[in-house]
Amino acid sequence: MFWKLTTLEFKLQLRNFMTSFFSLCFPVMMLLLFGSIYGNEPSSLTGDRGTVDLMLPAYTCMIVAVTGLMSLPLTVANYREQKILKRFMATPVQPLQILVSQVVVNSITTLVGMVLLLVVAALVYQVQFFGSIVPTTIAFLLVMVSMFSLGLVISGVTPNARAASSLAFIVYFPMLFLSGATIPLYIMPKAMVTISNALPLTYGVRLLSGVWLGGRLFDYGVEFAVLLGTILLCTAVAIRYFRWE
Amino acid sequence: MNVIEVVGLSKNYGSLQAVRQVSFRVAEGMIFGILGPNGAGKTTTMECMIGLRNRTEGSITVLGLDPEKHRHELFNDVGVQLQETVYQSQAKVFELCELFTAMYEKPLNYKELLERFDLSGKIKSTVGSLSGGQRQKLAIVLALVSNPRLVFLDELTTGLDPSARREIWTYIKELQDEGRTIVMTTHYMEEAALLCDEICLFNQGEIVAQGTVDEVIAQADIDLVISFETDGDVANILEGLPRARHIEHDGRLVNIYTNTEQTLTDLILRLNEGGIVYRRIKITYPELEDAFLKLVNSTTKGAVS
Repeated sequence: MFWKLTTLEFKLQLRNFMTSFFSLCFPVMMLLLFGSIYGNEPSSLTGDRGTVDLMLPAYTCMIVAVTGLMSLPLTVANYREQKILKRFMATPVQPLQILVSQVVVNSITTLVGMVLLLVVAALVYQVQFFGSIVPTTIAFLLVMVSMFSLGLVISGVTPNARAASSLAFIVYFPMLFLSGATIPLYIMPKAMVTISNALPLTYGVRLLSGVWLGGRLFDYGVEFAVLLGTILLCTAVAIRYFRWE
Repeated sequence: MNVIEVVGLSKNYGSLQAVRQVSFRVAEGMIFGILGPNGAGKTTTMECMIGLRNRTEGSITVLGLDPEKHRHELFNDVGVQLQETVYQSQAKVFELCELFTAMYEKPLNYKELLERFDLSGKIKSTVGSLSGGQRQKLAIVLALVSNPRLVFLDELTTGLDPSARREIWTYIKELQDEGRTIVMTTHYMEEAALLCDEICLFNQGEIVAQGTVDEVIAQADIDLVISFETDGDVANILEGLPRARHIEHDGRLVNIYTNTEQTLTDLILRLNEGGIVYRRIKITYPELEDAFLKLVNSTTKGAVS
């Protein structure tokens, strides 16, 4: 039953143009665009790595921002407004299963988006993976769970789907452009960097990029702590404000 | 046997008393209607019976169980259509049907249900492409997949055009013929009068009348109207007509308000004695809508009557 539900939710997500485009196609397009401009030659500005090497972890964070800050909260807010959550409460499905299936579906979409990026980058630019699997997986999960928990706060504190959508955009766009997920922070003016330090995703980009390019988790204590703090705080707030209708 | 027993149900939302001391019973196999103006507490009462809301006071027994404690045991036997549920517009009809089929222990064959509700041609359509009537039929199909003994329908026909509404009525009757008990809320008096074996009328969170449709109309104590046309002068003849509460003359038309058909006999005797020629004599009985308006107005607190 849970898998039937999750399969349907996944199909619905793929049919949602906004989500599938921005999580699956857009990052690949960005990669190809900027890859064709800068190439993947190592440069001193980028710490002796190629530009495409740097893009992969950053664009992964961009995908997480789409699934976690847009797709997840908007779907939950819509399901609440359309009384779908309430309808499922009158069936043997636990409504919690719907939330879990949403999280699962958005995690899968994120993974698929990331794999697409990797495959294209490997085929076109022969990128290498400098990190090791375990720390990178841990960093990836931290980034994803922190954005998902923030997404659930968005759907929890807003009264309806319209408000959720407005708040999601307000949170999403700064995270997208000022965290280093889309535009590298080293080309930003100082004032922008200050703002970016207030955004949790900035720490996600730093942590994931760090371990992706061979760093150790140990070296990113601050980033790790900020993301963990985001998860704890947002989960608490999300639980406190969550409503089925 | 009673399928539902509600005794002294109250439900508060904060300081707002949405439902106050409501009691009623629903016998097996009956179509039971819950009527009332918007905000009267109909949906709240229904949701308490389904187990979607916890009550503040009172007791509810549905199929022998308390819906608040045994929600999950009840779900196989209780089908539900909620007033405002909008299924995912990108979902296809068969996908929703398959999901609901997977939820239940002994599901009905959804293809047969779709066939019966004339939705077979729409099996691969998305919910978003269905008409209002088709969506409501899909909502019934999804409520029936579990093969429930008891079906709750909350404002099923609101917003549908008259022909779609009539179509739905025949389906509801069919559900009853299959032995299912149906509890429905509605705004349409003709719908309630046509379908419901018993109704209860809510106003401001309380039940102001209940019983069969005829009993509720009787409780409203509305005059029936005897009317006829004549060219003669009947003012003197009608003077002191027994049990006539009020007589109106409007040109040739005469309306006599009374609470009994006996007045008709007296009237005709007097007209005959006076040699008056009359035409188009008829009795207009109060309808459920008249009773609804009168009962709601007379029980609305703070309203000017």
